[in-house]
Amino acid sequence: MSARDRAGRLHLPTLAALAVVLVGWTFLSRRYGAFVLPGPWSIVLGLVEIVRSGEIWPHAAASLGRIAAGFGGAVAVSLVMGLGAFVSRTARGIVQDVLAILNSTSVFVWIVVSLVWFGLSNWAPIFTTFMITLPVVASTLVEGVTSVDRRLLEMGDVYRLSGPQKFTAIVIPSTLPYLVAGMKVGFGLALKVSVVAEIFGVTSGIGYAMNYSREILATRMVFVWALVMILIMVATDKLLFDPISRRLTRWR
Amino acid sequence: MAMKLEVRGIGKDFVIPVIDSVSFGVDAGEFVCLLGPNGCGKTTLLRIVGGIEPASRGSVLLDGLPVLADRRHQRHVGVVFQEDRLLPWLSLRDNVTLVLRPLGLDAAQREARAAHYLRLAGLQGFEDYYPGRVSGGMRQRAAIARALAIEPDVLLMDEPFGALDAQNRRIMQQEVRRIWAETRRTILFVTHSIEEAVAIGTTLIMLSARPSRIRERIRNDGGRERGKLIDDLNAMIMEEVERQQGDAS
Repeated sequence: MSARDRAGRLHLPTLAALAVVLVGWTFLSRRYGAFVLPGPWSIVLGLVEIVRSGEIWPHAAASLGRIAAGFGGAVAVSLVMGLGAFVSRTARGIVQDVLAILNSTSVFVWIVVSLVWFGLSNWAPIFTTFMITLPVVASTLVEGVTSVDRRLLEMGDVYRLSGPQKFTAIVIPSTLPYLVAGMKVGFGLALKVSVVAEIFGVTSGIGYAMNYSREILATRMVFVWALVMILIMVATDKLLFDPISRRLTRWR
Repeated sequence: MAMKLEVRGIGKDFVIPVIDSVSFGVDAGEFVCLLGPNGCGKTTLLRIVGGIEPASRGSVLLDGLPVLADRRHQRHVGVVFQEDRLLPWLSLRDNVTLVLRPLGLDAAQREARAAHYLRLAGLQGFEDYYPGRVSGGMRQRAAIARALAIEPDVLLMDEPFGALDAQNRRIMQQEVRRIWAETRRTILFVTHSIEEAVAIGTTLIMLSARPSRIRERIRNDGGRERGKLIDDLNAMIMEEVERQQGDAS
């Protein structure tokens, strides 16, 4: 059974579990009131509302724009790091140590630091997203680069392939799946992190909209914006990353 | 006929001397099988001849020119490794055309040559398959087609059928013998199987135990009865293995 079949099939036990959750949710919502926990149906209606009013688009676009800048920058820097790790052993050691340190730094550290450095501006969430996704994307890429089969490179030497020929025929195809896997995880992380960073200092974006809804006591809208986030995440996974990785591994 | 390949006093040390000193010449069109006990440096010798690894001493001449373990060297050597070493993301055809790029052929010439040698290796109709979709024997055929496609001065084969089952192995031995007869390439073939060497080689070179020298060079032109030859070679290998173990204790 291929990944596609599994993704396309509605799994019966999952549907049953979902039904149980929805019933329980509705019950709790009735018990404690919509202000604490809005019912599932009212959240769906809320989503329809912000789509109809168009309110969803500027906020989603603002968040995605910041992710594109921060995450895109992280991917670009990762590529440079991966290339360095491939070319030199020393560079690989340095890159791995730097990534280990970045990997163990909390999101909140970067949010606070970026507020200090960039103030209440777009750059705070962009920088935070960049710093958090960089180690994730770069370390999978470095791992991919180091796992290039040396025996294939030796074959390339025997047949006197040039450096660029070996790079395009051997190195890139063997590391691309790692890059895509790293980008998939990194993008998910970027979405989660940038939304948190948007609570501070900016006046657009999903995180801002969520926090604003909380402040005006519109609990229902907090859940609606959370749903928007989940939908964006699922859509990019299914429509962007999964087709790309399927295409990259079609020779398997 | 001029000597195609000349190995002059080649030696190699990995902490201890592995190859003491080996010298032999190979005529153009000869099919030489290198035999010897395990660990005597057959594969290392082959890698030195192919310019993949530097020797500690001695030199290798190909058509009178020295072979160096240097990327810039203009060697023209086809190698079939123990593993197929095909790029799994390229079709069999593209695996062959890839190694033709450094030769300066245009795309049409590369295609034509790849098609020719894949056919010669018995892969007609499978050109567009990815390596992962064909059997181990077919992958090794593709590796042979790739090595032949550069029309090498010498074709080096390092236990190319070691990973195949007995039946495929026998088929591939016949195939290599046929391909050799059709192309008349000079072949240097490393194997640990005496039966294999006697079945396909025109010249058999037996190396001694470590540090290795040439123990015996035998013409395999049907002059000696096959069963007798295999028995003699087996006896020789056993002697060498015993010597190696005697050294170790």
